[in-house]
Amino acid sequence: MKREVVEKSALGVLAILTGTGVLLLLLILGSVIWKGGPALSWEFLFEASSDFGNAGGIYYQTVGTLLLMLGAALISMPIALGTALYLTEYTQSETVKKVLRNLIYSLNAMPTILFGLVGYLFFGVFLNTGVSWLTGMLILAVMILPTLQVSIQEAIEGIPEKYRETGMSLGLDHLAQVRSVIIPHSWHGMITGVLLGLARAAGETAAIMFTATTFSGILLPQSWADPVPTLQTHILVLAQDAVNSAALTKAWGAALILLFIVFILISFSFLLRGRLKMEAEL
Amino acid sequence: MAALSVVCAGTIFLYLLRESAPVFFAEGSGFLTRSDWWVGESYGAGSMIFGSFMVTGIALIIILPFALGGAVFTSEFLSPRWRLVIKSVMELLAGVPGIVYGLLGMSMLAVWVKSGFGLIDGNTIFTAGLLLGIMILPTIITLSEDALRSVPGEYRETALALGLTRIEMVWSTVIPQAVPGIIGAIFLGMGRAMGETIAVMLVIGGLDKIPAPWFDVFQAGQSIPSKLGREAAEAIGSGLHWNALMGLGLTLFLVVMTLSMAGNMFLKRVRM
Repeated sequence: MKREVVEKSALGVLAILTGTGVLLLLLILGSVIWKGGPALSWEFLFEASSDFGNAGGIYYQTVGTLLLMLGAALISMPIALGTALYLTEYTQSETVKKVLRNLIYSLNAMPTILFGLVGYLFFGVFLNTGVSWLTGMLILAVMILPTLQVSIQEAIEGIPEKYRETGMSLGLDHLAQVRSVIIPHSWHGMITGVLLGLARAAGETAAIMFTATTFSGILLPQSWADPVPTLQTHILVLAQDAVNSAALTKAWGAALILLFIVFILISFSFLLRGRLKMEAEL
Repeated sequence: MAALSVVCAGTIFLYLLRESAPVFFAEGSGFLTRSDWWVGESYGAGSMIFGSFMVTGIALIIILPFALGGAVFTSEFLSPRWRLVIKSVMELLAGVPGIVYGLLGMSMLAVWVKSGFGLIDGNTIFTAGLLLGIMILPTIITLSEDALRSVPGEYRETALALGLTRIEMVWSTVIPQAVPGIIGAIFLGMGRAMGETIAVMLVIGGLDKIPAPWFDVFQAGQSIPSKLGREAAEAIGSGLHWNALMGLGLTLFLVVMTLSMAGNMFLKRVRM
């Protein structure tokens, strides 16, 4: 009898511990919707902010966030694809594979503030791009590189060997093999990687807060060299400086939109994945 | 293309090394041990280093029961459908932007900590640790769950055939096999916690001192990333102050890289 009691109570405790995780998500979602919901309106979504964020909407901030993350994904995509193809199709050297794998995981574990600091020195000062949209995109592109690369590589490694063999038996050379076998059969990995990379870029603040963004004054970048306003930094400034509740409500509204963007991207990636390989695992 | 990602990682290290060199020449090892950070006079990073380890430690202590209990329950006792639910929830949680965690921490968690422990100010080292714990839960739970899943089914069948109950089976066969993976998961979670900037910056209080006594975590403190986030913008190109911040960056880099390498080795994702 005693063993049964132990079994039952242990299971109960474990279930409660697990449930806490799920509750946390509900709690976070609930709080953001509850606090940010009142701020939402068409005007909030499609108007410029005014009076230092105390009034108006977040139109330009939303566009800025979208611009930054799309730019980052566009820059990162070819590099990630190239790295993944090189690792799976071209190099035979185990040492090269090992070193690259180590580096990709290190890059992924890197604190994002360091991307901001060094990215600013390298792009902003050394390559003279300044505090700008371009600098932000480049920094975020490097930051999301591991996410894209790992996702693409897993898709390529998941291609059944017989497709490859069929390609070879047809006399395809490396390039033709890549173009007509590898890429068509691993596109889902690319899309998944891009979606998760976009989500990561959208949620990032530390790497762009002093390298790519501006709080007010600028609507949209007129050129590559202009800074952009973003949702992330908008929330940060409002949260740090706000004394009145109107500004905080605006911050919660912006947080709700940001959370919505990120969750949509992640949910789409769920649909594309045959196998559950989690971003949190990286 | 592949070379480009090597260049990225190498550049970060070289820049940190080059830019932080002056402060190590100026302050010597005192940079790491003293905790007097007065811009323009002296730069001792002790309180930031202490704060970083403290918040990470608190985060781990608070979240480990939930993370490990959750991993065991998800891996061993849930149906595949529910496993998928838990893993999806964890992925969404991992995707919540740091700034949203920061906003939640600042306007809710800090207030609860303040009233719950009767403090004057809710922005403390403890609050930051608690928030970080929540933030690293998905990392630890997902990775340890994978470590538990990768224990072969025969072990479980053998244990059950010997008449063990399911809990006894998990405790005496599955968990011991998964220990290296779980340790790896914890290391990677620590790396995450150590490097988080925005959320910590908003709730830690931002005071460059080691609390007295040192274990009094209900006081304001400072971690390395939060210091960087607060001061980097104003210090760019301003001589020794900037070098000192880069010295902090280098310290952070080395600690996080060590944790990540160790974690990945335990997870057998990379071999040295």
